[in-house]
Amino acid sequence: MIQLKNITKVYGKDSGQEVTALKDVDLIIEKGDFVAIVGASGSGKSTMMNILGMLDRPTKGEYYLENREVNSYKDDELAKVRNKTIGFVFQKFHLLPKTSAMENVELPLIYSDRKNIKGLALEALKKVKLEDRASHTPNELSGGQQQRVAIARALVNEPEIILADEPTGNLDSKSTLEVMSIFQELNKSGKTIILITHEQDIAEQAGRVIKIQDGKIAEDYRNENPRSASEELKLVDVNE
Amino acid sequence: MNNKRILISSLRILFRNKLNTLFMILGIFIGIAALTLTFSIGKGTEKQLMDNVKKQFSSNNIYIGAGRGQMGGGPTSQGPANTLKIDDLEAIMNNVAGIIMYDPVQWLPAKEVIAGGNNVTTMIKGHSVESEIIWNRTVQKGQFFSKAEEKSAARVALIGSKLATELFGNSDPIEQQFRIGNIPFTVKGILEDKGVDAHGFDMDMDVIIPITTMMKRVMNVDYIMSASLMVENVDQMDETVFAITDILRERHYLSENETNDFSIMTPVEVKSVVEDMNKVFTLVLPLITGIALLVGGIIIVVMMLMSVSRRISEIGLRKAVGARKKDISFQFFIEASLVSLLGGVLGIIIGTIGTKLLASSMDYTFVIPWQTLILGVLIPVSIGMIAGIVPAKKASKQDPIEALN
Repeated sequence: MIQLKNITKVYGKDSGQEVTALKDVDLIIEKGDFVAIVGASGSGKSTMMNILGMLDRPTKGEYYLENREVNSYKDDELAKVRNKTIGFVFQKFHLLPKTSAMENVELPLIYSDRKNIKGLALEALKKVKLEDRASHTPNELSGGQQQRVAIARALVNEPEIILADEPTGNLDSKSTLEVMSIFQELNKSGKTIILITHEQDIAEQAGRVIKIQDGKIAEDYRNENPRSASEELKLVDVNE
Repeated sequence: MNNKRILISSLRILFRNKLNTLFMILGIFIGIAALTLTFSIGKGTEKQLMDNVKKQFSSNNIYIGAGRGQMGGGPTSQGPANTLKIDDLEAIMNNVAGIIMYDPVQWLPAKEVIAGGNNVTTMIKGHSVESEIIWNRTVQKGQFFSKAEEKSAARVALIGSKLATELFGNSDPIEQQFRIGNIPFTVKGILEDKGVDAHGFDMDMDVIIPITTMMKRVMNVDYIMSASLMVENVDQMDETVFAITDILRERHYLSENETNDFSIMTPVEVKSVVEDMNKVFTLVLPLITGIALLVGGIIIVVMMLMSVSRRISEIGLRKAVGARKKDISFQFFIEASLVSLLGGVLGIIIGTIGTKLLASSMDYTFVIPWQTLILGVLIPVSIGMIAGIVPAKKASKQDPIEALN
C-alpha cells in the first residue's frame, strides 16, 4: 500500500541552517495495518506524518502510494489523493467554528463529486456514535466528541488510509479510550491506520509500532496482542 | 458542481461571520449609495437646467441683458442697468437683418398681489405681446393681452394657475379684479403651466402684465431689464451679435475704451454656461464618489486579508481534505464578489430612495440614469473581484502544514 524508499527531508536549505528531519528512511506499510509511529518531539515523526499525508514533499527518496510514485503527482492530483485516499485526524481537531458537526463532516465532500452529501455525512457520524449531535457546533461538544466529529470527517469520503497526528494529545483518558476504540474498529473493518503519538501507552493499542529517533527508524515490531481500547473502556465505565 | 458546493459553503461562512460580512458590505454600500445619489442628482440637475433653459430661451433667441457684468453671474451687474430702452430694440429691429421680433422684459421679483382678503407676494413680469411666441408661453384659459392693450398700458394681467387658486380659490378667475400694490388689474387669462424655472421660482405663480403697464404704472421707469430677440437664421448668430453690439454702443454713446453696458447671450453660450455648471455634477461629484468607492474597495481588501489570516487553519484544513488551490482562491474570490454585489444592490436601492426623497422634498426633477444602475452593479462586482484577487491568491498559497500546526 505505502512504500518509502530512502526518504530524506532537510529543512532550512535556503537559510543555510540545515536540519535533517528524516534520514534515508525505508518503510513498507501493508493494507490493513494499524501502525503507531512513536517518537519524542523533534524525532522527525511529524515530518513523517506530513510526508505520508502528502502535505509536504521529501527532499530525496521515493514514496509509492498504491505503486505510484508520489513525486510525479501534480498539485491538483495530490489534492485528489488527500480527498479520496487519505483521511486526516489532527491533535487540535481543526473543526470549523460556529459550524454544525454535520457540516464539518460534509467538508471533504464539497471537494468531491459524490452525491447525497447529507446522507454520507450522517452515516459517518453514526460510525462515531454522534448522529444525535449532528446539529451541534464544536463549542457545544466535549473534546472527545469534537475529535469523534473530526474522525467522522476523515471517514466520510471512505478513504483507504486514516492518518492521525497525536489524535489523543488533547483528550482525557476516557475520551482517549473512546477514540482509540473507534480506530481499532475501523482497522478491523479493513482500514489502514497510521497513528502518530509520543505515548507508549497509545502505541500498545496498535498492531505495529515504529519508533523514530533522530530521523531514523530505531525499532519496528508487531504487537501480537494489542490492548483492546473497548475492553478497557468497559472497565472504566464499571468503575464509574 | 464543485463550485456550487463551495459557493454554498461560502454563503454559510459569510452568514456566520456576520460582523465581518457587514463591514465589507457597508464599505461598498456607502460608496455605491453615494454614487447613485450624486449621479442621479447631477443628471436631475442637468435635465432640469436644460429643460428650463429650453423653457426660457428658445434655440433661436438672442438675449440682451442691461448693465455691465456677466449675465451668468446673476443680478450682480455692475454699473447702472438703466441704459437699455425699448427704442434700442426698435433700432436693432430696423437696422439688423434677420431679426423677426423682440420682447422687452422688466421684472419685479417680489411684489404684493391682493384679491379680496387674499394676499400673496410673487413675481411680476412685464412683457410684450410677442412674448407669447418668443418665450413660447401662451394662455390655457382666457386670452393673451392685445397689442392695443400693450400700447395703451392697460391694467390687464395674465396669471399662473397656482396663483389663480391662491387668489380666487375655486371661482373662475377670468375678468376678476385684483391689485398689484395699489393698482387694480383685471385677469385676462390663465398662463400655461411651466413649473419651476432655473432660479427656483415657481412660474405657475407668475403675473404677466404688458411691458408698458409695468414701466409706466407699476415701476415708473423708462428702461428695461433685458430683452429677447428672435432671429431668422441661427447660423449667422455671430454676425448678428456684432451688429447688435455696434448699434447699442453707438446709441449708448460708449467711447472705445468703455466696456459694454449690456451683455448679449446666444443659445450657444447659454448652453455652454449650463454645461459648465453641470461639470460640477458630472465630473466633480463622481470623482468624490470614486474616492468613496476606492475606500470601499480597500475596506474589502483589508477585511478579506484579515479574514484570510484569521482563517489560516480553515484554509489548511480545506487543503488537507482535498481542496485544490483554485478551490481555495475561488472561495475567497466568490466571497468578496458576493459581498460587493450585495453592497452594490443595497447601495443602489438606498441611493435611489434617497434621491427620490430628496427630489420630492426639493420639488426636484427625479432622474435615475440607466448608467447608474449598470455602474451600480458593475463597479462593486469588479471592485469585489479585484479586491478579492489578492487575498484569494494569498489564501491559496497557504501551506497546509503551517496552517494546521
